[in-house]
Amino acid sequence: MEQAAEIEEIIGSLARIAECPSDYAADWESRTGGKVVGILPMNFPAEIVHAAGALPVIVQEDDAAISYGRSLLHEFYCGYTRSLVDQAATGKLACYDGIFLVDHCVALLGAVDAIRFELPDTPVFLAQFTASMDETTTRPQIAGRIGELRQRLEELCGEPITDDAIHRSIAAYNRNRGLLRRVYEMRRAGRIALSGRQMQALVKSAMVMDVEEHSARMARLLSLLEAQPPAPSAKVKLHLSGHFCHAPRPELFDMIESCDVTVVDDDIYTGYRFISTDVPDHADPVEALTGWYFARNNNVPCSTRAQKTVDWESYLGQALENTGAQGVIVLVPKFCEPHMLYYPELRKEFHRRGIPHLLIETEHEGLALEMLKTRVEALVEVIRRPAVIREPA
Amino acid sequence: MSVTTESANHGPGAPRPAPRANRLVSTRAGGEMVRNYWDNLFTARERGATVVWYNGAAINPILQAAGVEWCHGEAFGARLAAMHLEEPAQQEGEAYGYINELCSYARTTLGCALLTRKEASRRVEVDQAPGVPDKEVLAARLPPPDLFVNAYAGCSTGQQWDEISYRLFDKQLPFFKVSYPLLWGNKPDAGYLRGEEWDNASKYVAGQLYNLIEFLEHQTGNKFDWEGLRESMHYIKRAAQLRLDALELCKARPTPAVFWDWVASIAPINFLPGNQALVDYFQGVKTEIEQRLEQGVSALPNERYRLAFDGIMNWNKVGWLANKFAEHDAAVVCGRYTHNSFWHEPQLIDEDDPILGMAQHYLLCPFNHSAQNLAEQVLGDCETYGIEGIVFHATRTCRSATNGQLVLAKMAQQRGLQTMFFEGDVADESFYKDEILQSRLEAMLETIDVQRTRLS
Ligand code: SF4
Ligand code: SF4
Repeated sequence: MEQAAEIEEIIGSLARIAECPSDYAADWESRTGGKVVGILPMNFPAEIVHAAGALPVIVQEDDAAISYGRSLLHEFYCGYTRSLVDQAATGKLACYDGIFLVDHCVALLGAVDAIRFELPDTPVFLAQFTASMDETTTRPQIAGRIGELRQRLEELCGEPITDDAIHRSIAAYNRNRGLLRRVYEMRRAGRIALSGRQMQALVKSAMVMDVEEHSARMARLLSLLEAQPPAPSAKVKLHLSGHFCHAPRPELFDMIESCDVTVVDDDIYTGYRFISTDVPDHADPVEALTGWYFARNNNVPCSTRAQKTVDWESYLGQALENTGAQGVIVLVPKFCEPHMLYYPELRKEFHRRGIPHLLIETEHEGLALEMLKTRVEALVEVIRRPAVIREPA
Repeated sequence: MSVTTESANHGPGAPRPAPRANRLVSTRAGGEMVRNYWDNLFTARERGATVVWYNGAAINPILQAAGVEWCHGEAFGARLAAMHLEEPAQQEGEAYGYINELCSYARTTLGCALLTRKEASRRVEVDQAPGVPDKEVLAARLPPPDLFVNAYAGCSTGQQWDEISYRLFDKQLPFFKVSYPLLWGNKPDAGYLRGEEWDNASKYVAGQLYNLIEFLEHQTGNKFDWEGLRESMHYIKRAAQLRLDALELCKARPTPAVFWDWVASIAPINFLPGNQALVDYFQGVKTEIEQRLEQGVSALPNERYRLAFDGIMNWNKVGWLANKFAEHDAAVVCGRYTHNSFWHEPQLIDEDDPILGMAQHYLLCPFNHSAQNLAEQVLGDCETYGIEGIVFHATRTCRSATNGQLVLAKMAQQRGLQTMFFEGDVADESFYKDEILQSRLEAMLETIDVQRTRLS
């Protein structure tokens, strides 16, 4: 097969898996006889599920319109949480032997409580991680919660989880993140021309696939990409920011890129935020996973965490300097509290640095792409001809 | 009937319904105490006091014993909304970039922070500042903070909001956060006030409160007044017990007081100092209710329905809603926000060693429970107070108050209770739809009538 065709083929197969995680999970279960555990964004240490011999799958938003879920969660919740509940109410979470989470976004907690009500026979476990990173009591609390997770997963899977197994899982996930980060580096350096849709497929599939299997495909893909000639772009370079927990619709990326734009970097969850940080070395694997929780927020700050010493906006400013991105599109899922609360801080920083930006609110029910396109074009115009207008948002 | 009838607050241009809610008179004293509290706080700077801005749980006894003055952000946001003075703060927030779907408490109070900052930087007395519109004056009057403490249970927004306040003041001020686990119930022994998770969470929060005290001592240079804390908790415990006794009296049919009266008593129990005046206030409320019972005076002239109210308050609409329900002869007898909150388990407080009991009350924030826990409390109250239907306030921008509501409604229906939802918001009037409340309330009351006919 030609290299370009093989690249397409690998990414296409990963995209198909990412689109239908339950098919993949069912197949994996029949191949291995292991348990499949649904885990929820954004801070869950998947390594511990993997070490239990189970398949951790980050439950994705489903494209289906919300139906029965309406009777369990109000319509003024973010699309992700409404979709989760709807999936529970329509039998789409049946492929999971348990649902586990550690995050405390208020909307997510409400959604999971509704799931627990709707699926009384499915184990649903919350090991709530304290979100304030600054107090001395937090670190031992997180370690304790990881210990509880370990115990609960041992019960679910019927086997003790050894330290060695966790270390092996950490190594496997670190390798996988490293492979994905390499693709990101190549995109930033203009070495490859993968589209936003394709980049998303790489990360989303990592969220749902067996890690070794995913890494094998990524390693092959990387060797192919590295053999390709550089792909510098004369288009306007943008950074995509935000969009917690679930993936923006690929059509949105297609539309943005159709406006003479190349996306050089992002900090979205189904993007760089997910792969930014490896689990640090530590003899005690629980300590290592605890360290990861803190290290991630230092690397790519998230407004769902409360930390005095880091700022998302400073991170963004630095990221733009590194990549040469000329502007930012901020993607906020409608009703996402932690993002709405933080957005003005981002905006202030963009103004201070003279960075053009555009705010786009996304919705589960679909996007007015034509209207949004006009706004993206306006942003591109501002970047190309800075004297025109300064504030398209 | 000898009791004065109080008129309601009306939205601009709204038709004025016949005022029929026979509100308690004794709660007016609370209004006065709260007004005095704020007026005093507004002068904190001139008096050289150290000011803490805090959000969430009632940690004011700790702040009092630390020798600082306390400003409860949400309480001020609620006050502005109840006085229909929230607009300047919200406009300031909007100009800063807040989307209107964001928690309106946070939007209002962050707007106040922006206005306060503006005023502080002008270094002029707000009242004498030329060109400051009247309405803006109150929103801008908070004394700038010296410290921040966040202590918000049950809601990630509550915690993140202070993270923003900290940034609005340029990350210059000391800031301490108390974190609360949600009372979720992973284990079979978990439930309201019981189980290993409850014990662990209580200890975890108590530990943080000791750390908070150390932080306050360090920041203020004041030695923490433990005896002062014990004393204020002694008074708060007595006041809380009187409030509970008074609530209990409302099991009577017809009820002598309603939910809206209890809403009027939230501010005093939530953030006023623990002292004899607080005890006297709740003694006064209880006495008035006892007198009403003796004299056969009821909260509604013609109580025909007994309802519960679930959700956080719609502060713009308290008086309006009080009359709306009264017009339909519907006594809202109990509510999660009033009955399952605010030092409502005083037996947990050990006056000699109050920290653990305080931590437990903070955990018992009415929005810090799983739906299962909520059902235990809310449906338990429905039984206690002879409730026939639950009115759910689907608070548009408060996911914390709406978590679990639809599940709770299903559980209530399984027990034969009627349920209805209306949309509104904690501090943003624009989300309130009167027609929806009106039509759904009428439909629910009709169903209750039909149910009664069937049973009779
Ligand atoms: S962080 Fe935002 S997107 Fe994620 S669950 Fe919370 S509200 Fe939804
Ligand atoms: S969303 Fe509700 S509970 Fe959370 S901070 Fe706002 S008003 Fe408070």
